[in-house]
Amino acid sequence: MKVDHSQPLEYSTEQNRLNILGFWVFLGAEIMLFGTLFTSYFTLVDRTGDGPTGAEIFEIFPVLMETFLLLTSSFVIGLGIHAMRLGKKKAMLTFFVITLLLGLGFLGFEIDEFMVYYHEGATLQTSAFTSMLFTTLGTHGAHVTLGFFWGLFIIIQVAKRGITPATANKSFIFSLYWHFLDVVWIFIFTFIYLEGMTRV
Amino acid sequence: MGYFAKFAVPHPSPAIYASMIAIVVTVFLIIFGLTYFKKWIYLWSEWITTVDHKKIGTMYLIAALLMLFRGGVDALMMRAQTAVPDNKLLDSQHYNEVFSAHGVIMIIFMAMPYIMAFMNIVVPLQIGARDVAFPRLNAVSFWLFFMGAMLFNISFVIGGSPDAGWTSYFPLADNEFSPSVGTNYYMIAIQIAGIGTLMTGINFITTILRMRAPGMTLMRMPMFTWSAFVTSIIIIFAFPVLTIALLMGTMDRLFETKFFAMTDGGMDMLWANLFWVWGHPEVYILILPAFGIFSEIIPTFSRRNIYGYKSMVISMVVISLYSFFVWTHHFFTMGQTAYVNSIFSITTMVIAVPTGIKIFNWLLTMWKGRIRFTVPMLYSIAFIPLFTIGGVTGVMLAMSAADYQYHNTMFLVAHFHNVIIPGVAFAVLAGSTYYWPKIFGFMLNERIGKWAFWFLTIGFSLAFFPMYITGLDGQARRMYTYSEASGYGLLNFVSFIGAAFMAISFVLIVYTIYYSIRHSPRHVGGDPWDARSLEWATHNPVPEYNFAIIPQVDSREPFWDAKYKRYELFKGDYKKIHMPNNSGVPFIMSALFFVFGFALVFSMWILAVISLIGIFICMAHRSFEIDHGHYISVEEIKETEVKMGGNHK
Amino acid sequence: MRELFPAKQVWGFVLSLALTAAALLVYFFNMSRATGMTIFIVTAFIQAFVQLVVFMHARETDDSKSIFATLYYAIFIALITVFGTLLCMIWGWKY
Repeated sequence: MKVDHSQPLEYSTEQNRLNILGFWVFLGAEIMLFGTLFTSYFTLVDRTGDGPTGAEIFEIFPVLMETFLLLTSSFVIGLGIHAMRLGKKKAMLTFFVITLLLGLGFLGFEIDEFMVYYHEGATLQTSAFTSMLFTTLGTHGAHVTLGFFWGLFIIIQVAKRGITPATANKSFIFSLYWHFLDVVWIFIFTFIYLEGMTRV
Repeated sequence: MGYFAKFAVPHPSPAIYASMIAIVVTVFLIIFGLTYFKKWIYLWSEWITTVDHKKIGTMYLIAALLMLFRGGVDALMMRAQTAVPDNKLLDSQHYNEVFSAHGVIMIIFMAMPYIMAFMNIVVPLQIGARDVAFPRLNAVSFWLFFMGAMLFNISFVIGGSPDAGWTSYFPLADNEFSPSVGTNYYMIAIQIAGIGTLMTGINFITTILRMRAPGMTLMRMPMFTWSAFVTSIIIIFAFPVLTIALLMGTMDRLFETKFFAMTDGGMDMLWANLFWVWGHPEVYILILPAFGIFSEIIPTFSRRNIYGYKSMVISMVVISLYSFFVWTHHFFTMGQTAYVNSIFSITTMVIAVPTGIKIFNWLLTMWKGRIRFTVPMLYSIAFIPLFTIGGVTGVMLAMSAADYQYHNTMFLVAHFHNVIIPGVAFAVLAGSTYYWPKIFGFMLNERIGKWAFWFLTIGFSLAFFPMYITGLDGQARRMYTYSEASGYGLLNFVSFIGAAFMAISFVLIVYTIYYSIRHSPRHVGGDPWDARSLEWATHNPVPEYNFAIIPQVDSREPFWDAKYKRYELFKGDYKKIHMPNNSGVPFIMSALFFVFGFALVFSMWILAVISLIGIFICMAHRSFEIDHGHYISVEEIKETEVKMGGNHK
Repeated sequence: MRELFPAKQVWGFVLSLALTAAALLVYFFNMSRATGMTIFIVTAFIQAFVQLVVFMHARETDDSKSIFATLYYAIFIALITVFGTLLCMIWGWKY
């Protein structure tokens, strides 16, 4: 394996660079995936049948908490990558652990939010709007859950194997994924929650 | 017995029972044969675990040919049923199942893998690479496609076939009107295969962007590689739409969500909308690589370089973007205003322009060329006028006001077969013949191949041109029978004869393969067609490492220059070559996907959860795995090169 | 300790929080739908761009042209899909 020392570790081999580019292309596909969910959401948002509308069920506090947790985790994982580039393994692992804990907090709030909706009579089967709402949020939540386990595996690997071209590459790609989930959340926050709550 | 009742076929017939027996017998024969000839280990270590792009491509090719047979039998059954008025061969339910299976299989499980076969085999060779960017992911792609195809194919003997058409429009596809599990199979099998396709797209974009031989700029890439690149771009943006649409459809059927329901605010037309947001780009995903294959064959057998390279590239890139702007033309009659229809009418007509440019480029490539009428070239020449007719009728369909007359008639059926058969089917058959020596090291018999070509071309014309007329006369598509008084009898019978001709041509194609395996001379050399691009610069069949030395490129046709202009393609000495290791995990993971899909189809939740955990374990295994690949030593390379009769060094 | 908190990323984070707060203005103050939507679109897209450039380092390799081409292409087609669908299914729907 040829290692190019002029580059950051995560770019240092040809396979590493392929992995990073390939993951960006995958993120392009993910944009379209969430784009389709938003397309369907905007189409179905007013089709509430006998069920509640968004304005009736959305609450600002949990949504703000989720936003804050995810935004912060995105910032922290960025710090983790920065620490990785400085070669500080301990700091990097600390940042990664904080990131995952924040992600866990996000999931906790989201699950609680779903329970509240459920008790208010907005279930997956209530109306086209609620089906779509749960599917869009659920797809994002499933991504975060998957990311949690992925991140866990990477933390274990970095702890055991140290910061090598391979683990640095994996960590960097994971950080791309995590930032991307935050980007998606920004759109969910704005165009589902805020738009839904300010709708007349 | 109560537990197994759900696996019963809801609408059985002698044909289905016969198929069940045939499947059991075939499976038994395969297992017996593999055991008797002691081939299990060979199969596992050489094929199932392989990450070699050429072997994966070959498996795609074989799978596609099998699916062509299955879809072709469906087509024959349909044509036989409609050959005469008031025919009783199939009842309406069976006819529904047959045309649904025909559409899905031909598009998703025949045309797609056939295209993937060529992308896999040809692209790394054309750009002078040793494999694709992610060989392991490539194996996952293939096995996901394969398991999806198998899942779809067992539907007709376990639980019942999908019967809502290949488009599976809601509300027809919802539980109320399609109570059997057939449509579950549709949703989940296509989902699994679709994930594989998406990964292929990512893989090839990365490969083409970063793994080209030194000197090969984007504007020096061969046309087929360009088409594979553009197709991959369309794939990564179109397939996520299908993923979501199928997810929503699956949830509507399994969990009673209300996306496409008739009550509680559901919107059935949204399915049609999402389906075609994917579906129209899908058409170009299939046709662009087909164009790419023709763009390789026509210059080779005209002994001229491709005319208008730049305009070819630009038109493909324009198509890739434009293919996302036109989807509404599939449902002009659904209920949008004339204003909306007009917009999509115009975008649809405009997309004919880049395609027209390509047609002229092929014609001008042949102009004053020294044409050799080989089998691949015959397909390419026949493609041009036949495809143009299909394109022109497409523009007729694009006019939304007139479309109210043609919509969902046989005219439409004639149109899309008229573009897909001369476009995609001719291309893959031409490509198979052209690349056969590359894959297997011997040529296909030309004489039998020409017979097959003529039967196919004449059969195609007889089968589909009459449909334009019956369609304009008002024969609706998907009608399982018609009355004597309608007057459709004669033309439908002509169609049936055409279908029979096409069946004969398929038999001839299989016979060519059989005959050539027995009789064709081996050792055809590296360049049997006197071709122009890099894939012919190495041996036939291709050694594991593709090129002993990575070629240096400084023009669009480096191999041609090497042959006729004394250009030195391979500079330097042998060095040890790094290759990826084989792995069984892609197969195991995909098999778990199959179990997962099957469990979902029948709502067996425990099994679904177990197999899903298995899938995650496979992913976790991949995350922790340390795999540095292996090296091929210089001695081994020398040995292989000598054995292959190496013409360099 | 300081070196672990590069100014670029800290400012990126502050900017993200500020943009979130800006979007919240629409919730807390009464404004017209057009103004509200404009603020939403502007803040959401700027925030996404901040993530891309500051946190995801999309600019630092020589593949960045390919990366941005992919992203722009994806965003463009996603927007076409969103608005095209709304055109068919909502705005231009007769029934």
